[in-house]
Amino acid sequence: MLEAIASGLAALLTPQAVLFMLIGVIYGLVIGILPGLGGVVAMALLLPFTYGFEKAATLALLLGAHIATIWGDSVTSILFSVPGSAKGLALCFDGYPMTKQGQAKRALAASATGALLGGLIGAVFLALCIPLIRPVILALGPSEYLMMALWGLTVIATFSQGSLMKGLIASVLGVLAAFIGMDVVTATPRFTFGSEFLMDGISFPVAMIGLFAVSEMMKLAIQGTPIVDRSLVTEVSTMWQGIKDALRHWWLVVRSSLLGLWIGVLPGVGASVAGLAAYAQAVQTSKTPERFGKGAVEGVIAPDATMGANEGGGLMPTLAFGIPGGESMAILLVAFISLGIVPGPDMLTKNLDLVFSLVWIIVIANVLVTVIGLGITPWLARLPSLHANLMVPIVLSVCFVGAYATRGRIEDVWVATVFGVLGYLMDKYQYSRANFVIGMVLAVMIERNLHISLTLYGKDFLLQRPIALAMFAFVLFTAALPFLRNWRRNRKVVAA
Amino acid sequence: MSRRAQENLAAAALLALFAGVIWLCQDFGPRARMIPLPLAVFGIVLTVIQILWQNLRSTDELHIDMIPVQKPVAAATPGAGAGAEANAATRVTWRREAGALGIVGALLGLILVTGIIPAVFLFTGGYFVVTRQYSWRASLIYTAVLTAAVYLLFVVALQVQPYHGLLSPLVESFN
Repeated sequence: MLEAIASGLAALLTPQAVLFMLIGVIYGLVIGILPGLGGVVAMALLLPFTYGFEKAATLALLLGAHIATIWGDSVTSILFSVPGSAKGLALCFDGYPMTKQGQAKRALAASATGALLGGLIGAVFLALCIPLIRPVILALGPSEYLMMALWGLTVIATFSQGSLMKGLIASVLGVLAAFIGMDVVTATPRFTFGSEFLMDGISFPVAMIGLFAVSEMMKLAIQGTPIVDRSLVTEVSTMWQGIKDALRHWWLVVRSSLLGLWIGVLPGVGASVAGLAAYAQAVQTSKTPERFGKGAVEGVIAPDATMGANEGGGLMPTLAFGIPGGESMAILLVAFISLGIVPGPDMLTKNLDLVFSLVWIIVIANVLVTVIGLGITPWLARLPSLHANLMVPIVLSVCFVGAYATRGRIEDVWVATVFGVLGYLMDKYQYSRANFVIGMVLAVMIERNLHISLTLYGKDFLLQRPIALAMFAFVLFTAALPFLRNWRRNRKVVAA
Repeated sequence: MSRRAQENLAAAALLALFAGVIWLCQDFGPRARMIPLPLAVFGIVLTVIQILWQNLRSTDELHIDMIPVQKPVAAATPGAGAGAEANAATRVTWRREAGALGIVGALLGLILVTGIIPAVFLFTGGYFVVTRQYSWRASLIYTAVLTAAVYLLFVVALQVQPYHGLLSPLVESFN
């Protein structure tokens, strides 16, 4: 084992591997910052350039780029409330308010450190857990996945500040928006009005570009002032504060990382769900949940730690069974095959050095991203103070090009426009955009797993699946927790 | 338009949307409408409660039109009554909102007519010229740099096939 760890690292110390890792990380950061494009696009575009090189160098290029997109996504979410891709969405909720309060440096540094710690925890657990994970994955079925998606919905109450009713309406709208397109279970086109384009459904990244980026730029154009007016709000934070925040909330980092690892292990759940779930658990376990959504640093640390660890988790089923944990892992699987690597139990015996190379890639790429990220943070933190008349045309143009680039279809630019106006109206009338997105993300997972559960186990599927039943009890408990806490707090106030 | 009227209008639009979903669901099979149909009914129930709720509360509790743009406008009309200030603020907000919508519409229109890359150049340059934030020379430099960056990143590096809009036949003949 120690020999495999050493040879795994040695394979990454060749000039080619070092160069490829650096190129991958810088390229990943740029792609991550562009709206609509995430790790999947980054890896897919690199794939044709990976033939004929060293195995470890090729994997360093691909995985390094993918890992760098995580923090790249977070940057624009924190600075402009423009998620680089679906993964970065959870960072908008508290990262952007921090920027507006003059704490951009602190938020960026906390985000980078959170992602680093999450990535390291993910890598260590990947190394330790590969032999143990098989029975766990096999014990879970669609009913358990359904319960996990339902657990994600419990966060809705958090984002319904002001009006729970409006928050719920926004979630219903999001779920219905996700049902536009061909229903894969029944092969029924739903809400498509005969449009061939709508048969493919609404692209999630495009909807997010509209809901958050376009609507924020509309708000900025109306206000006519920078996101952060330096004459009113000065940058009061330092990077060191952010680093200390991430280290001080070490237990939150560990919890979020384990959650990310767990979600990564489950095939088909995805990092966008991971970020939201991490945010939900951070709120639910906080002693002061009312601070969230207003610039709580824990709301930045938790999603980044989860997404950092998610990569290690996603590699487990990919390596151990050849089952990709998500779209990006599917691309990595293609790279494995083109390199002549056959994933499966043999990976743990014949190719253990390669497995440890992957673990080392996660570690080194995360360290590189954090070093580069912290290095450029002072410059990045200045961007929100640029005047609205410079920001609006530049960000709007890049967002629309990003929306088009997602699928190469001009109709997506229309979708971004429609969702932009919708996002502006929702924000104005206080229908939570976050709840809309949560509904949209979880809708397909809920519907698909409900259908499969009903088909496999019948209407009383919960009674036949004890793990799912236990998870359902947990969902009910976590849903009731904020109300219980509120009730206890009110009772204390009355008693005082 | 009063705050309450705006809220009611938004809620009415939602009611119509949910009713439309229920109507469309009638064409689906039982499995395909298993979630959307009850969800739309739930949406109608929630919206009706919301309408009742917002019409039984005082206007001050309807936290809308609170975007910061109103503050300087209200402050800029000293001596006027509170009602007049609010009306002036609402009028300016509506004008600016229409302007923001126009900005987004203009970019969409330019993309559809000229294609992605020329639209970026024309929109950004036009925006700088109209707002007069920068000198024409600085505007031209910023516009050229942005257009070149977008082209290099998306078309050259990411190999995205750009949309050419109505100029498509011209581009094809040139190719």
